[in-house]
Amino acid sequence: MKPIKAVITAANPLERYLPLQTITDSHGDTKTALQIILDELFTAGLESVAVIIVPGAQDDYLRAAGPYGDKLVFIEQADPLGYGHAVWMARDYVGADPFVLLVGDHLYLSQTDQPCIEQVLDVASQHEGCVSAVQSTHESRLNLYGTVGVTRVYGSENCFEVQTVVEKPTPTRAEQDLIVPGLRHGNYLCFFGVHVLNGKVMDLLDEKVSALAAGDTLGLTETLAEVAASERYLAFQIDGTRFNLGRRYGLLRAEIGMALAGPHRDEILTSLINLLAVNK
Amino acid sequence: MDSKLVAIIQAEVPAQRDTALQLACQDLDLQGLLDECAMLDAFRREETNLYHRVRALFFLYAIHRYHLPDQLAAHQIGRIPFGGYEHLLKRRFHEAIDTFLDAMDMDGPGDALSSSLASAYHQLAFQTLADQVRRSVRTVRGNQWMFRMGHPADQPLRIRKEMLRESADGIQPILRERTPVRMDLSHSGWSDIFFLGMDFPDGARVLNVSVDLGVHGRDAVTRPPVEAYLRIIDEPVIRLTSVDLKASACIDSLGEVFDFAKDYLGLLKAAVIASGIVPPGIEGSGQKLSDLLERLVGKGLGIELVSSVNDIPKGSRLAVSTNLLAALIGVLMRATGQTDSLTGPLQENERRIVLARAVLGEWIGGSGGGWQDSGGVWPGIKLISGQVATADDPEHGISRGRLMPSHHVFDEEEIPASSRQALQDSLVLVHGGMAQNVGPILEMVTEKYLLRCGSEWTGRQEALALLDELIDALKRGDIKALGEATTRNFYGPLQTIIPWATNLFTETLIANAREHFGDDFWGFWMLGGMSGGGMGFIFAPHRKAEGQKKMQEFMTEAKAQLNHALPFAMDPVVYDFSINPHGTSADLLEPGGDSPATLPPSYYQITVPRLLGRDVAALTATQRGDLRQFAEASRTQPEFDTAVGTLFDTLFPSEHGSPSATDASLAELLKQNGFDKKLHDDVRADLLAGRIGLAQNRLPASAQIEDVGQDDVTDVSLLHTADATAEWGDATQRGRDAIASGEVAVVTLAAGAGSRWTGGAGTCKALNPFAPLDGSYRTFIETHLAKSRMTGQSAGTPVPHVFTTSYLTHEPTAAYLSSAENYNYPGPLVLSRGQSVGLRMIPTERDLRFAWEEVAQQQLDEQQQKVKESLHAALIHWSKNTGEASDYTDNLPLQCLHPVGHFFEIPNLLLNGKLRELLRDRPQLKTLLLHNIDTLGANVDPTLLGLHLESNKALTFEVITRRLEDRGGGLAYVDGHLRLVEGLAMPREDAEFKLSYYNSLTTWIDIDQLLTLFSLTRDDILNHDMQKISAGVHALAARLPTYLTLKEVKKRWGHGQEDVFPITQFEKIWGDMSMLPDVDCGYFVVPRLRGQQLKDPAQLDAWLRDGSADYIRTLCAWS
Repeated sequence: MKPIKAVITAANPLERYLPLQTITDSHGDTKTALQIILDELFTAGLESVAVIIVPGAQDDYLRAAGPYGDKLVFIEQADPLGYGHAVWMARDYVGADPFVLLVGDHLYLSQTDQPCIEQVLDVASQHEGCVSAVQSTHESRLNLYGTVGVTRVYGSENCFEVQTVVEKPTPTRAEQDLIVPGLRHGNYLCFFGVHVLNGKVMDLLDEKVSALAAGDTLGLTETLAEVAASERYLAFQIDGTRFNLGRRYGLLRAEIGMALAGPHRDEILTSLINLLAVNK
Repeated sequence: MDSKLVAIIQAEVPAQRDTALQLACQDLDLQGLLDECAMLDAFRREETNLYHRVRALFFLYAIHRYHLPDQLAAHQIGRIPFGGYEHLLKRRFHEAIDTFLDAMDMDGPGDALSSSLASAYHQLAFQTLADQVRRSVRTVRGNQWMFRMGHPADQPLRIRKEMLRESADGIQPILRERTPVRMDLSHSGWSDIFFLGMDFPDGARVLNVSVDLGVHGRDAVTRPPVEAYLRIIDEPVIRLTSVDLKASACIDSLGEVFDFAKDYLGLLKAAVIASGIVPPGIEGSGQKLSDLLERLVGKGLGIELVSSVNDIPKGSRLAVSTNLLAALIGVLMRATGQTDSLTGPLQENERRIVLARAVLGEWIGGSGGGWQDSGGVWPGIKLISGQVATADDPEHGISRGRLMPSHHVFDEEEIPASSRQALQDSLVLVHGGMAQNVGPILEMVTEKYLLRCGSEWTGRQEALALLDELIDALKRGDIKALGEATTRNFYGPLQTIIPWATNLFTETLIANAREHFGDDFWGFWMLGGMSGGGMGFIFAPHRKAEGQKKMQEFMTEAKAQLNHALPFAMDPVVYDFSINPHGTSADLLEPGGDSPATLPPSYYQITVPRLLGRDVAALTATQRGDLRQFAEASRTQPEFDTAVGTLFDTLFPSEHGSPSATDASLAELLKQNGFDKKLHDDVRADLLAGRIGLAQNRLPASAQIEDVGQDDVTDVSLLHTADATAEWGDATQRGRDAIASGEVAVVTLAAGAGSRWTGGAGTCKALNPFAPLDGSYRTFIETHLAKSRMTGQSAGTPVPHVFTTSYLTHEPTAAYLSSAENYNYPGPLVLSRGQSVGLRMIPTERDLRFAWEEVAQQQLDEQQQKVKESLHAALIHWSKNTGEASDYTDNLPLQCLHPVGHFFEIPNLLLNGKLRELLRDRPQLKTLLLHNIDTLGANVDPTLLGLHLESNKALTFEVITRRLEDRGGGLAYVDGHLRLVEGLAMPREDAEFKLSYYNSLTTWIDIDQLLTLFSLTRDDILNHDMQKISAGVHALAARLPTYLTLKEVKKRWGHGQEDVFPITQFEKIWGDMSMLPDVDCGYFVVPRLRGQQLKDPAQLDAWLRDGSADYIRTLCAWS
């Protein structure tokens, strides 16, 4: 599968401004978070991106997109009916094509020379079904992420076949169904926030949105669990770090993480040591 | 040399593996047994298979306990190394065994060492099994993470949003879990013990039914009796309330969550821990509870957990507490997203994790139940079966079976609705009111299983076959066949395995039911581990209503008859029940919902009075909401109809039952029973001043305690052997002549409550029908009379028999003997009532700490030890708060008094005129045989009597060679003077271990020499010169030390609840007569079977197996 489209969800009213935050990337350039994500997507060879936004946010996002404005499609989600619903909003844009799915409030930093999204696309290019990037996560943080139960793909160090997907499981559940041989005790494979999905996902979401009762919301996990049950769906243990900008000090962590990965590492480290030395 | 016992353990073929140890050992001589022991010990040290190891340990225990003693008759005397004993107390079993084996290498085998090795192997075997269960509980998937979590920042659980949905007026939703209890139609011979299920999964099968309950005549409908409520509160604390126990606590530190015995809320705390709210891994981390709660529920918020069991009494054998634990765990797991469903029934995988957590919770709380006990979590009727461990299970390679069983819930095609209805239409479910400790029974079952004792093993196979019969009867709806099968199970396999499963109370009820209902009484059904508490009686459906009425009458009558003989915790009740088809289920109570968002009415009776006493401004929003809701509920909800009235009763208790009423009856009792107020106040003053106390009981540290030599005793230990006739023929004849001429009488000490027999329940031990002997349950009193009857029959002259009694035992003993027509005893039967009584006191902190911290104590298993230490801290707090050395009056009046020691039993005979009566009727009376109620082997043996007469001693005490369990003093030289020393008086703990002989207390008394000690003559007694007698008694008593002791006293309250308090009392002890220089004492070393004492029901099984019971039978003539 080789997608040329991507979908970024940024329609959570509480987090609408996060992608618009200005941040210094690992090269020392100051950009918005959105632009950093778009840089990585378009560098990886994607041709267009749909951004799911809250109504009225388009102008802000256009400004934040920097040079990529003309490659973006904005789709407004009038009511916050859940992550799955936000993805479903892009159904017309995606059509039957495969697509990359990201969240607007995360930044990704690769630990190799190959950027995170490229790593995922490489795996997807050798596989017909869906692929989700996953990361080993301690059980104390399971309440934040979707988590996969997997079997290892024979001969691969970092690819797994997804058997089940559970949204924010408790460790009680995780220990029963989601243990992955080879991971440290109490660690599980959780979504990294980057997926390569196919048109079937939109079909499944379509069914669920039709059945959505008033007041209910729709997540994505249930749909991904159905994908796992019906086709070969891979999890790829990515060599990278994710930064959730919405967490306390999330932006700060992201900026420091990026700075330490770039040419200005020594400068930042010196500043940090100074801060540590003078502050109690 | 190959070991045939190791071969049995390792055998692949079941027929060989299941060989009974007794059979395998029957041809082995002493050396053969010792060789097998050496090989078994080497085997158990190297063997990796857990159950092989444990079986070897049980074999070693049984050989040392049952097989070697018979062959060690010539090696009775031996020393037990104190170091080994210390290792045992500290649970260092391997080291203890090594110490005892080293001693055996040095000194050769002996009865004393074998008793020590038996104890060490036995304890190590159970420790090994318990460790394995504990490891398995921790490794169950879903439980493991809780042991890794040690910091609030790592708490992964979050409260579900629905729980935080506050209403407009600030009322939080309440999550309510309702759980039925379980009754088991058959546990296939206690196969639900974890150890059995894990070693013999194929044999672990239980037919278990979830039921809703109501108390017949009290509750209009049946309902799930167990309820757990959870809500979020606006304080960063955990509030726990048990409405049945009327206990509530506000916990604001992690340490307090793990303090189980501080209050009555240990079960709720165990649930909080086992559900992962406060995971076990965080214990002792020094972190703050508020930080943990912030992660879990949010800043400034906490949780409140409330439990209710609808006043179902304790000891119902319906696993109420385990199902309550499961309900509490369930509600906490639901609220934190550990189950998919917030409300409604649970899914199968969720039930299983609740079961695993309940097992964990029971371990954490220091208790333990069978794996079927959480059966109420599942719906309807189910077969619970042990499972063979597979490669995926943590138990694989360690035990044959898994910790967790599987549950097959019968659907209506298998057991139709009509069958279920038929069961409900025939079964009368009752609680007989007895409260018993089932723990020893479970240990006996495990031991017998691992030893493959012949008849018990056959019984186990029969029980398994009977389970299939029961299932078949249920499927067919044939309740008559079901009743016949459960009865057969009770009288067949269950009593074959454990004769103590029944008792006289149960047998009386069954006989009454049979007599009254004839063929319409279809059967008896024992619930749980033993009978007497929860039981089932099955009747033809058209007579069920009558059955409920009559069983209530039968139970009430039988209890009235046996109230002083058996420990009853409460009045008997009859239940209404119905089969619960849902299992545990939850609903969310929200304002405006279908059910009102209120806690149970009793909750408000506990909390509202406290809130009313506080400034309104100081109340939190939740507390103000509670007051508003209580007011509203009492206007609108029918179940709150009487709430306001009850509240006022709580706030302003009526005069009935006030302390003054108790004070009056206690004062009356003291007056009637010769209470010496001045002496009591002197004792208190001495106690508070530190002049007396547990530490002061001890002889000075400089006292020299030395063992006695062969010349200091008359060794009559071979009394019952063929050599005895040749050696002591003359003495025997002299004794026979003395009996025939009416020169001897027996005095049995029956004034005490037998604290160890019932754990301080205050029943009359003499009247306890302790065991079936020759076809009937025999009381201690009947057994002693039967021995005297046989003595009298042999001699042709009835022997007078005196039972000493006290304020506690006199009336019940008199009434019992009267109703039994003195068991048709042909000779004089005299009750000698005690003449004085003491008033118990609250112990001092100093004495409690001495008993628990200075004296070597048996350390318990890890978690139980924690609970014990927590309990000790709570009791020290209680003693300080209540007032050290103040009068103990917070109990039934009879439980507040104490006898003042058995020294006074003989003086009482002088004071109350009973000796006078005896001497008047039999002027030739010369000798008294005094013995304790629990020394069942003591009788008027002609040889011993003759030897005593020949010696012309004033007192001849009987001693026995020491075994490990014989603690409490012995025969010694104290600073060069030969005498008996009480354990309380030993200057050092190891001193007792130097002594070869243990005091049985049985004493031959020369009446005239005794009277001389009191400065009295026969004429003084016959003239009943009270002034002189009193002066003589006081003068002699003053020469003997007064010991301060701690005794356990039960306080009963609520519905079958019992608390045990340590209480201070003082006493003088008969054996100290031997310390007086002017008393000429002799000492007989008698056979162990004659001198051993039966102090604890847990000894009964071994007593039956080791030949003791058979020995007693040979001494008795029942009619």
